[in-house]
Amino acid sequence: MAQAPTTTLTQNVLRDGLILPRTPDPAAMVIFGASGDLTARKLMPALYNLALNRYLPSGFSVIGVADTALSEDEFRAHMEQAVQKFSRTQPVDRAVWQSLAEGISYVRMPFDDQDGYGRLASELDRLDRERGTAGNRVFYLATAPQFFPVIINRLGTSGIARAGEGWKRVVIEKPFGNDLKSAQALNQAIHAVFTEQQIHRIDHYLGKETVQNVLVFRFANGIFEPIWNRRYVDHVQITVAEDIGIERRGKYYESAGALRDIFQNHLLQLLSIAAMEAPPNFDADSVRDEKVKVLKSIHPIDVANDVVRGQYGQGWVGGQQVPGYRQELNVSPTSTTETFVAVRLKIDNWRWADTPFYLRTGKRLPSRASEIAIQFKNPPHLPFAKTAVQELTPNVLVMRIQPHEGASLKIAAKIPGPVLRLRTVNMDFFYGSSFMVESPDAYERLVLDCLLGDATLFAREDEVERAWGLVDRIEAGWASQPPPPFPNYAAGTWGPEEVDALIERDGRRWRRP
Amino acid sequence: MSNHHTEMTTRTFVDVHAIQEELDQVRWGLHEDKEQGEAAQHAAAEARASVLNLIAVVGNEAQLGVVSSVLDRLSITNPSRTLILLAQHTREADKLEAEVSAQERTESGHRVTTERVVLHAHGEPARHLASLATPLLIPDLPVILWWPGRPQFDNPLFDDLCELADRLVVDTDEGFDDADLTNLLHVARRHQAQASIGDLNWARLMAWRHVAAQFFDMPGMLARLTQVQGVSIFHGSDGATAQARLLGGWIRSRLATVGLEVPLELRPDDSLEHGIHRFLIYTGGDDGPARFSMTRLRGGRLSTQIRLGDQDLAERTVRLESRAPEELLGIELTLPGHDALFERALASALA
Repeated sequence: MAQAPTTTLTQNVLRDGLILPRTPDPAAMVIFGASGDLTARKLMPALYNLALNRYLPSGFSVIGVADTALSEDEFRAHMEQAVQKFSRTQPVDRAVWQSLAEGISYVRMPFDDQDGYGRLASELDRLDRERGTAGNRVFYLATAPQFFPVIINRLGTSGIARAGEGWKRVVIEKPFGNDLKSAQALNQAIHAVFTEQQIHRIDHYLGKETVQNVLVFRFANGIFEPIWNRRYVDHVQITVAEDIGIERRGKYYESAGALRDIFQNHLLQLLSIAAMEAPPNFDADSVRDEKVKVLKSIHPIDVANDVVRGQYGQGWVGGQQVPGYRQELNVSPTSTTETFVAVRLKIDNWRWADTPFYLRTGKRLPSRASEIAIQFKNPPHLPFAKTAVQELTPNVLVMRIQPHEGASLKIAAKIPGPVLRLRTVNMDFFYGSSFMVESPDAYERLVLDCLLGDATLFAREDEVERAWGLVDRIEAGWASQPPPPFPNYAAGTWGPEEVDALIERDGRRWRRP
Repeated sequence: MSNHHTEMTTRTFVDVHAIQEELDQVRWGLHEDKEQGEAAQHAAAEARASVLNLIAVVGNEAQLGVVSSVLDRLSITNPSRTLILLAQHTREADKLEAEVSAQERTESGHRVTTERVVLHAHGEPARHLASLATPLLIPDLPVILWWPGRPQFDNPLFDDLCELADRLVVDTDEGFDDADLTNLLHVARRHQAQASIGDLNWARLMAWRHVAAQFFDMPGMLARLTQVQGVSIFHGSDGATAQARLLGGWIRSRLATVGLEVPLELRPDDSLEHGIHRFLIYTGGDDGPARFSMTRLRGGRLSTQIRLGDQDLAERTVRLESRAPEELLGIELTLPGHDALFERALASALA
């Protein structure tokens, strides 16, 4: 017989030494929009890979909700096909899938149907009884944004959002609103049912290993922070360039444009993590407090002088002739939607005063690249002959997000020979060379974090509203100007001519990423 | 996934300075001849990423071949300076020979380069290879000593290399008997301030440990951990018991930290394949009897189940990775230093 223990356990001693995430509580995830593209391409493959790698708890269950006529078996078969097609790990392990699929059910209902929520509540009760989900729920809104308020409302009025024991969390997909007013209205609608701690607003960019690595690069290496400020940094360029067009998203893109699609979220996220102060620790509020401080410190943008917008015409990208934006599917032939935006920002704080940040994003640019480039000031004095240093350019530290995640540093070196001549060389480091392992998909990380109640990599209410405030200011500025002569850049170029003037008037030049 | 592997150069040397010079040549690509020059320019065009120095000790040519191919595959994820010591002190006639080479691999657009030195020694030099290895290491990077098979604990080379290393990696599944395990524990304790111990067998147990811990992460289950009344481990009866003993040692040592002394039953079974087949944890107490079971299934899977009284709770099937040696080695190379849990598990397995 075992001897009786002398202490009461407060923690799981079997978990000690396992460098693995905590196991979430058994829970039911209700996916609204379960017959849609996001569920098939991202959510279900993410859940399968989490199950495969032992990150999901026993009893974990999924209820798909949609208004598509599907039997439960058809829904499971549809999900299995999706996993077969989109899982990052192949081949799909049938036994693991089967084990996950045992907990998958389907409720067909229109999202505003009060009776449907009654059936959903019954199904959740069944899972609590039969699979031990203990009242823990994640409501994942993978629908078109117009359904967000009604789903939230019905979750509240039906009592599902508050019923019984266990925790309740809600995940809201991007876009979160389309301006400050709509974002505030959506926040208000959600807060009528859920507290801020329960809300997880997705920006999948933050789930990327590469973006998290920027934080590690800055705050786990002692040598960069001392020079990461106005004293040593001349300016910062942040680029999110895409070589693809809008593909089949014409309808969405017509109402969004580059400003809402990329600037409001991805570009401002990169700005925040590049410019923020070190948080005291990496809990959700400490990190997000620092990011919000950056957004709060952005000097009011002079739209006429500091923002350039563009729209691509036809051109050549990667050796292929491509149509202009106005010729794309579901796009108006007279569209004034921008597919390119560049912004010159200043951050009014001690660290960054008078250090410009140049942000740009666009479709159909010559190459795909996301990066943060820190250009340092020239040395105060060069003790070399003028002819020796004519090829010298300033030090630049680049943190590449994609493709080829890594860092590079441009430094000066002597050209071998009897005469002292200097030139710039690039020291390139690919993370892949040191960690040539497959990274989990961003959705795997974010779904797991949500199940664990960690909101660090999700956007907070004030963060989202600050970002929309900036977008609104730019939109208002544009509304007061005559529309530019779109299209104003050819596909396969780095944007309209004015974008060069935006930076060259400061005596600087855009990098070629 | 594109995959490309090039051997950039292979030359043979006997003098340490010549070896060092050749290593610099292959590392920075400074060869003058035309063919090497191209590769050299390629290599010199960017900073080189290296994460560690790896010393592997082999006893014969056949083992050298196996270890070389494991290290080839390992180099994709761990660009390193690798020294392979083929030490045959029992062979007469002193001999010392070094072969320097560089391997370049390209996968998915990433290129990694690894330098490798094979040091082949007979007779007396074989006992003193550590003196040759030391100057060939890249400064400031950790030194990992991988000793495949059963280490020669009484060979002075073993002690010398342990002195040099930050981590000693072995595989107790390679026929370690009681004396070997005892020696390993002795090394772990003796070298506590220096080399930490890594065991590929311990890395293999990760999935079992993870799933066992997850049972007690579940709501209401933590209290049952204080009510464990026994543990059973079913394993293949092919003579290799180190894996089952280590798993048993692990759970006993963990529960000992909360004052619980748990009986362990190791059950060899002729019908089972090599390794652990089933791991059962029994609990009792006021909450009634419960059984937490983990069963290995064919195809690299693990089935888990909880039985409370006579009620079976939700069953789950997860992956039980069958990891290749280079993957296990890769895990050991990224773990932080001293692994007190492993040492306690080992001590408990021997108790």
